[in-house]
Amino acid sequence: MKRLDIMKRAGRNLAQAKGRTFLTSLAIAVGAFTVTASLAAGEGARQYADQIIKSNVDPQSVYVTKESMRQNAAQSNGLKEYSENQSQYGGMSIEMLSSDDIASLKAVEGVDTVLPTYLIDAQYIQFQGIDTKYTSDITTYDSTVLAATAAGDMPPLGEQLAANEAVVPESYAETLGVSAQDLIGKTLTLHLVKTGKTPSETEIQAAFMAGGTEAVQALYLSESKDVTLTIRAVSAQSSTSFSASSAVFISDTKAEELANYLTEGTSSYQQYVSATVMVEDGVDIEDVKSTIKDSGLAALTAKDISGMIFTMVNVLQGIVFGFGVLALIASVFGIINTQYISVLERTSQIGLMKALGMPRRDVAKLFRYEAAWIGFIGGAIGAGVAYVAGTAMNPWITDTLTLGDGNYLLIFVWWQVALMIVGLMVVAIVAGWLPSRKAARLDPIEALRTE
Amino acid sequence: MIELRNVSKTYGKKKNEFRALDDVSLTIPDGASVAVVGKSGSGKSTLMHAASGLDRPEAGEIVIDGEDILQFKPRAVDRFRSETMSFIFQSFFVQGNETCYNNVSLPLEIAGVPLRERRAKIVKALKAVGLEEKLKSRARDLSGGQKQRLAIARAIVNDPKILFADEPTGNLDSVTGEAIETLLFEYNKKHKTTLIIVTHDPDLAKKCDMQVHISDGKIQKKTGAKS
Ligand SMILES: Nc1ncnc2c1ncn2[C@@H]1O[C@H](COP(=O)(O)OP(=O)(O)OP(=O)(O)O)[C@@H](O)[C@H]1O
Ligand SMILES: [Mg+2]
Repeated sequence: MKRLDIMKRAGRNLAQAKGRTFLTSLAIAVGAFTVTASLAAGEGARQYADQIIKSNVDPQSVYVTKESMRQNAAQSNGLKEYSENQSQYGGMSIEMLSSDDIASLKAVEGVDTVLPTYLIDAQYIQFQGIDTKYTSDITTYDSTVLAATAAGDMPPLGEQLAANEAVVPESYAETLGVSAQDLIGKTLTLHLVKTGKTPSETEIQAAFMAGGTEAVQALYLSESKDVTLTIRAVSAQSSTSFSASSAVFISDTKAEELANYLTEGTSSYQQYVSATVMVEDGVDIEDVKSTIKDSGLAALTAKDISGMIFTMVNVLQGIVFGFGVLALIASVFGIINTQYISVLERTSQIGLMKALGMPRRDVAKLFRYEAAWIGFIGGAIGAGVAYVAGTAMNPWITDTLTLGDGNYLLIFVWWQVALMIVGLMVVAIVAGWLPSRKAARLDPIEALRTE
Repeated sequence: MIELRNVSKTYGKKKNEFRALDDVSLTIPDGASVAVVGKSGSGKSTLMHAASGLDRPEAGEIVIDGEDILQFKPRAVDRFRSETMSFIFQSFFVQGNETCYNNVSLPLEIAGVPLRERRAKIVKALKAVGLEEKLKSRARDLSGGQKQRLAIARAIVNDPKILFADEPTGNLDSVTGEAIETLLFEYNKKHKTTLIIVTHDPDLAKKCDMQVHISDGKIQKKTGAKS
């Protein structure tokens, strides 16, 4: 008997028992819904994470630290050997990158630029014409990522700010109660205070010789400095770019100058928590990364970061997926039950088909295809409901989680859904195996006797 | 030619053992019409089932065209059922949920007849039993006589060499019953199909080439046949 003929008969048989078919399919649909939703949420989360990383990190950049975070965490509880270039940062003891490290990074083949992370701690900042003092983070402007502009003009992609220029986020204008446009051309003063200078013994001796005790005391006193910059542009708020909304941006040269000023004479002079290495276009970033790693430093690329986030997303997705699979396993028993009843109910029909010379194999196929149809219908209902509900809820989810316009948490990938439905058909066929075998083994005369 | 040689069939085990066919031998030439008559419970159906390869007797041989069908492998048995013989049951066994067309189509599908050849054959079979009007009707909506005619259409659609009919008129009134038996009888004459029919109608039995009388699983007498 031809496969297509068997399939058609299977479909008609199911259409005959609509209620039962529908209810059995519904059990599968619950599992299929959960699986589809978990797939869509996982896909959406990955794409969202990917977008966040893309708008914050250049794919051609490597983030370098002295030791990997994992190493750090592993050792944080234990006794740790003292190292000259060690610093307390964020409550953790971190080994810093020295200027030698920076130099050796620059020497790596394929490296375009090396931008150390300058830590600039301003006591306060002041805007022109406004008396109030504010505190703010100060960061190096990232020329590799083009931030959205609210007012003024950003340097073109790949170009730095001038030394006396600054970019502030739109949220600052809101806090100040002025429009973003008003800030353009205004000046911004950073008040830097230098503390914690530890004079060497010779310096103390020299000061004492020159000015007695007073001169020595002066050595320990803090110095301060005001730096005035002109606001060139205001960056627009972005739901995916973090840096753009949280700090004053200054040029790399200015940042270096200020960082050097603040740390000069301390143990952290020309020591850096991290550095961003830009790799030349056309050079494989993985090669550069492995060279850096071989030199004993820790290196992280955008891909690594997304890999870490993806692992988390995958774990969460796996949990939801698991529940869906559990529901599907439960529905398998529904299929087995339905098919057994179907075989019992249609004993005389099976007897007739066998009396007409239908081979065992084809009788079994007929029942397996019916099971496959049930799997297909269940999968299609579950996936369909998930798609309709998900598409309808997406704007609301985006709003509630402030994902930013155009970002949806639930992204349905057709081939994933198709694969799931095919998978369900296979599962249904396996579930229908025993009932179909029972049907195939019926003796025609015995079967026809049943009325 | 159909030859039953010393066929015995028992039902049940040990104490409940019941011999439904007891050492039955019978020869039916090709194209003959045979009436099987006997009391209820005498073993008529058992004989038909054994001769048609639907059931397996414990002892004996059933030689059809020189081959013992009891020695057939399952695939050959299926092919024999599908291509050589047809069986019309006492209680119609049509598929109520399917249309008349699809009921008659089933044997063709099983035999692997290509789709384009099917339609003509189906229409021809339905015409032969006067059901061409009911092509698209569901079988369950038919009357009893129509259902039996549908069963006949299904039995003749694939041009069988041997046609078994086990009391095809048992569930029908006498007028319809006779009409249907005549239909089968005419089909046998026209197509030279071997017809083996269980019947209570003495007139029809007389018209057949051969009459086999059964009681208690044994053949009491054969009339009309040369042997
Ligand atoms: N599966 C079975 N198990 C036990 N006994 C059976 C079985 N099938 C038939 N028999 C017995 O075998 C005998 C012959 O049965 P069969 O059906 O051949 O009778 P029949 O001549 O066709 O009767 P009827 O005219 O009523 O259809 C009966 O006594 C019946 O009870
Ligand atoms: Mg009978």
